[in-house]
Amino acid sequence: MRLAVVGNPENRRVALFAAAAARAGLPAPQVHPWRDVLLSGRVPGPGTVVRIDSPGENAEVDTLLRALGTGRPAAVAEPGEILGGAAAFAGLRAALGRVAAGGGELLNQPADVLTMTAKPHCHAVLAAAGIPVPAALGPVHGYESLRAAMDRAGWGRVFVKPAYGSSASGVLALAVSGRRAAAVTSVELSGGRIFNNLRVRRYDDEASITAIVDRLAPDGLHVERWYPKAALGNRVLDLRVVVIAGEPRHVVVRTSRSPMTNLHLGNARGDVAAVRAAAGDRAWAAAMGTCVRVAECFPRALHVGVDLMFRAGWRDHAVAEVNAFGDLLPGVLADGLDTYGAQVAALVTGRTVVPCGI
Amino acid sequence: MTIHDYLTTFAGLPVVASAEKEAPADPAAVAWRIEVEDFEADPAEFEAAFGQLLERTGPAGPTALIIGQWGSAYDTAFPTDLLVRNAARLGRLRALFIGEMSSEECEISWIQQGDITGVLEAFPALERLWVRGAEGLALTPLRHQGLRELVLQSGGLPATVIRAIGACDLPNLTRLELWLGVDQYGGDARADDLAPILAGRSLPALTHLGLRNAEIADEVAAAVAAAPVVARLAELDLSLGVLGDAGAESLLAGQPLTHLKSLDLSHHFMSPELAQRLVDELPGVAVDVSDRQREEEWGRYTAVSE
Repeated sequence: MRLAVVGNPENRRVALFAAAAARAGLPAPQVHPWRDVLLSGRVPGPGTVVRIDSPGENAEVDTLLRALGTGRPAAVAEPGEILGGAAAFAGLRAALGRVAAGGGELLNQPADVLTMTAKPHCHAVLAAAGIPVPAALGPVHGYESLRAAMDRAGWGRVFVKPAYGSSASGVLALAVSGRRAAAVTSVELSGGRIFNNLRVRRYDDEASITAIVDRLAPDGLHVERWYPKAALGNRVLDLRVVVIAGEPRHVVVRTSRSPMTNLHLGNARGDVAAVRAAAGDRAWAAAMGTCVRVAECFPRALHVGVDLMFRAGWRDHAVAEVNAFGDLLPGVLADGLDTYGAQVAALVTGRTVVPCGI
Repeated sequence: MTIHDYLTTFAGLPVVASAEKEAPADPAAVAWRIEVEDFEADPAEFEAAFGQLLERTGPAGPTALIIGQWGSAYDTAFPTDLLVRNAARLGRLRALFIGEMSSEECEISWIQQGDITGVLEAFPALERLWVRGAEGLALTPLRHQGLRELVLQSGGLPATVIRAIGACDLPNLTRLELWLGVDQYGGDARADDLAPILAGRSLPALTHLGLRNAEIADEVAAAVAAAPVVARLAELDLSLGVLGDAGAESLLAGQPLTHLKSLDLSHHFMSPELAQRLVDELPGVAVDVSDRQREEEWGRYTAVSE
């Protein structure tokens, strides 16, 4: 088997997958840097089995994706700057098309990657499949239209998410009541531009909240009703469940004192066994069943990263997001294999659900 | 920081959500929790949940009751009238917690409460009353012989409420816990407002005093250091606030505290030196100086405010 990876070679994701391949006695995957794919168009060819990994965390690749998406030169984002989500998504769509056209056997089909990455679309797909998701508003175009839509729905508490964002980038947990508004977010306003700050903060002045939402809105917003998350040890939590070839065996608990549980925001991994005990076996099994059903919505993706929330009180659960590149769970093992090892094992034993070519 | 956990026991009883289908063997031996799932549920939905609870708990009702979200708690006060009207169906009620919501459900400083006097009047046998959230909270001074424990958790407790408590006659109250909060969220009390409580005349049974989550923690410590009520206490709790070295020095210089069983100062801004001195000078007292905070760009924060 000839393996190839499209990814950012400096990123540990690529190294972890290569290590898993080596442990399974497979030849080292050929690495196709996103930068090269975007600049030279060289992609893995027929006869290769291709893992497509995240283009994230690389400023040059981000700039190239945005340029590809708009067909115009793109400005380089400053570190942490939230910029051009829609353009980057359009660029990803085009770039995935190039990769697919190369004729390799893709472990994650572009259509599935794109659906997972576009939050409104993903939400619609999950809802249509009967998977529990928080209710969502229709399109909103700025703070004023957001407030109007919330009023129409009768909602005072929502999560506002960039339509194409990832890892809490640009997400606001917003509560409003009459003339009061409060938003918890990792977004920082600076000189009319917006940045992700690893420190989650609270804004309770409407002017700042308006400025942030209006700055995010042109790239598309997806607004869901706030789903009150369960807590343990006075930290709210959710799960990242990586479903590989249909099996939800790699789980991390993400806990936080803020409504944002993403681990890079200074949050902590929690104790899976404790959460399982708190939820009870039945609720846990139901949650895992939901994750499997989510993966079934993306049958041509070898792995699917599901963010699953239990409701405060543990009686219910809902899916917050689905991540196309959500399998970076270092050190989380199932039967001795990390997420990469499990994917390689699925490949070797032919348990992938990947049809050849589309 | 904010509150995320729900209580798992209340009044010594395990908490059971009324929405759970499985019934406990003895409905009087648990603390029942009722709430509506929808943040903005119609009042009728909460009344329906309350009605179902009464059905499940029999003619005397629950022994202990925790009320979570009642619907739009951020702009609608808890309908105390519902309890008062049904007092005859709640003859067994001894413990009541109004407003146990996590900050995922409603920021503590936004939870709307109303006048709780009627509840105390309608339930003379009530032994424990906990309330979370203090916006709109009101109390008219009264005498209540049953009450053992009064806990008011807030991001900002109005001075009017604190003065009203000081003017109450609560002969059997052993535990009083007030979360003073911050001025920005309505916590406008100063040490003077605490004076009647600290004098202790109307609280002859008090053994546990908590003046927590206070932006005026140093001022509170100075007042406590000379307060007559302290001699009677077994437990003094000044935690969750912004206690700093000034407050620590007041405690060190004030009346003896060696009779206490515990002194909780956790979540504080004291220097390690002064925190250690307090521990050293109070042998035999369980002094908690954990969770030291560092001053931030905008100053010192209490543990629970928003």
